[in-house]
Amino acid sequence: MDLNTLNYELGFMSEDSSGPVLKEVGGRGVSWKSPLTNITVLFKHRFLVRNLVRKEIRGRYRNAMLGYTWTVLEPAMLASVYYFLFIMLAGNPDKMYPVWVILGVIVWSCFGKALQGTVSSLSRNGQTIHLVYFPRIIFPMTAMQGNIIISMMSCFVVLPIMLFYDLPVTIYLLYIPLSILMAGFLAIGLGMLVAPLNCIQRDVEHLFRFIVRAGFFLSPVMWTYEMALERGVFGEMVLYNPMVVPLTMARHGIAGESIGIPWAGILGSLGFGVVMWILGSYVFNRYEAGAVKHL
Amino acid sequence: MTGNAVEIENVTLHFPKQRNALKMMMNMFRRKKDRFTALRNVSLTVKKGEVLGIIGKNGSGKSTLLRIISGIYPADEGSCKAAGSISLLAGLGTGFSGHQTGKENAILYGSILGHGEEIMVSKLPEIIEFSELDAFIDEPVRTYSSGMKARLGLAVASAIHPDILLIDEVLGVGDPQFKEKSKKRILDLVKSTGTVVLVSHSFGLMKEVCDRLVFIHKGKIVDVGEPDEIIKLYYETTGS
Repeated sequence: MDLNTLNYELGFMSEDSSGPVLKEVGGRGVSWKSPLTNITVLFKHRFLVRNLVRKEIRGRYRNAMLGYTWTVLEPAMLASVYYFLFIMLAGNPDKMYPVWVILGVIVWSCFGKALQGTVSSLSRNGQTIHLVYFPRIIFPMTAMQGNIIISMMSCFVVLPIMLFYDLPVTIYLLYIPLSILMAGFLAIGLGMLVAPLNCIQRDVEHLFRFIVRAGFFLSPVMWTYEMALERGVFGEMVLYNPMVVPLTMARHGIAGESIGIPWAGILGSLGFGVVMWILGSYVFNRYEAGAVKHL
Repeated sequence: MTGNAVEIENVTLHFPKQRNALKMMMNMFRRKKDRFTALRNVSLTVKKGEVLGIIGKNGSGKSTLLRIISGIYPADEGSCKAAGSISLLAGLGTGFSGHQTGKENAILYGSILGHGEEIMVSKLPEIIEFSELDAFIDEPVRTYSSGMKARLGLAVASAIHPDILLIDEVLGVGDPQFKEKSKKRILDLVKSTGTVVLVSHSFGLMKEVCDRLVFIHKGKIVDVGEPDEIIKLYYETTGS
C-alpha cells in the first residue's frame, strides 16, 4: 500500500487527491484569451518548440557542403543579380544601392519564407498531427521561428559590407535584427489566418506563393522608400504596405540613421501585425481541429 | 485505485468527404450533409487499472476512437474525459526527420510525445540500448531501414510510463528476434501502466492480456464484455 492510499484510507486526503481527476480531453478551442495563450503555450512547451525549430533549420540545408554558409550566400548572390538588372533598367544608382538590395532581400525572404512556412505548417505536418495532440499553434510558430533564425544568420553579411564601405558601428544597427523580427511577426498573423483553410484546399498555398512573388516587386526590395518619396504621391501610397517599415528600418540601421518614416506609418504597420495576430489566433484556434480532419 | 480513467459519452465524429471547394460550399447549405460518420453515438468507460482491448474490422473506427481519447480529434458531439497523462503508441517510425541523426530524432520524437527535457536526457542511454542500433544511432535516419526506424520509434515510445496508455497495432515490428523483444517490452509496459487501451488484430494476445474487449462495427459499439464471448461475437457478425 503506497502512501497515497494509506493517507486516503486514514482519511487524510480527499478522494480528489488520490489520483488524477477526469478532465475533458484536449481542452482547446477558441476563447477570448487565445491571442495571449498562443504565446504562453510556447513557454510551456519550450523543449518541444526548440526541437521542432531545430528540425526546421536542419531540413533547409541538409546534404549541403556549404551548409549554413548558404544563409549568407543566397541573399548576396540574389542581390548581385538584382543589382545588374537594376543598372540595366534604371541606369547609374548610388554606390550604396547593392547594400540596400542585399538587406531588402534578407528582410523580404524572412517575411516570404515565414509566410509560406506558416501557411503550409499544418498540411506539411499531417503525420505528426495524427500521432499526438499538442497545441497546434506550435506548428506555425516553429515555422516562423526557424525562418527568423535563418534570416538572423544571413545578417552576418553586413559585417564585410560595413568594412568595405567603412560604416560606423552605431546603436541603430539593432534595427536590423528588429526588422527581421517584425517581418516574421507580420507574416505569422496572416499565415495563421489561412493555415486551416490550406488543409482543406491546397490552392491557398499556391496563391500565397504568388503573393510573396508579387509582393517582392510591390515592396521596397529592389527599390527604396526614399526612391518612392521622390515620385511624390507614391511616397505616401507605399506606406499602406506594412512591409515598408521593416525593410526601410534595416537599411537605415546599417547607415546609422533613425528610421525616417512618419510615426503614423510605423504605428500603422505595427497595428497591422497586432490585428492580424489577434484575428489569426481566433481563426486558427477555432478552425484547426476541423481542418486537420482533411489531412 | 477505483473509478474511471476514461469516460466517453455519446461521441459522434464525422469526416468531411469532398475535397472540391464548390461541392463543399454547397454542402454547407444542405440539410442532409454528405459526410462519413466514423463513430456514431459511442459510449464507453475504461476503469482505472484495466486493460481494455478494441477489436473490429479495418475501417470500423478503432483508431479513430483512440485518437478521440488522445485528443487528436475533438468529438463533433458528446464528450470524452480522461484522468491523467495519455500516451498513444501508433505508427512507430513515422514523423522522423530523415536528415537528423537517430539520437536527435529520439529526442525530437520524445518531445513530440510530450516528454520534458530531463526525462529524455535521463532515458536516452536506455533508449539507445533498447533500439539495438549501435553505431547507426549517430547516422541520419534516412539511412535506416523501415525496421530500424520502427525499432527506434518503439524504444522512445515505450520508455515512458503515462497514466493511460493507448496502443494501436504496434506489436510485431522488426525481425523475429526484435519482435519477441518488443512484445515483451510492450507487455511489461502494459503491466506497469495502470490503464491500457489496446487495438490489435492478434486475438491470441488480446485474450492473454485484456480484461475486457470492445467490439466495434461500422462506427458503433456492438458489445463489451469477456474476451472469449466478444471474439465469438466478432466472428458471428463479420463472418469467418
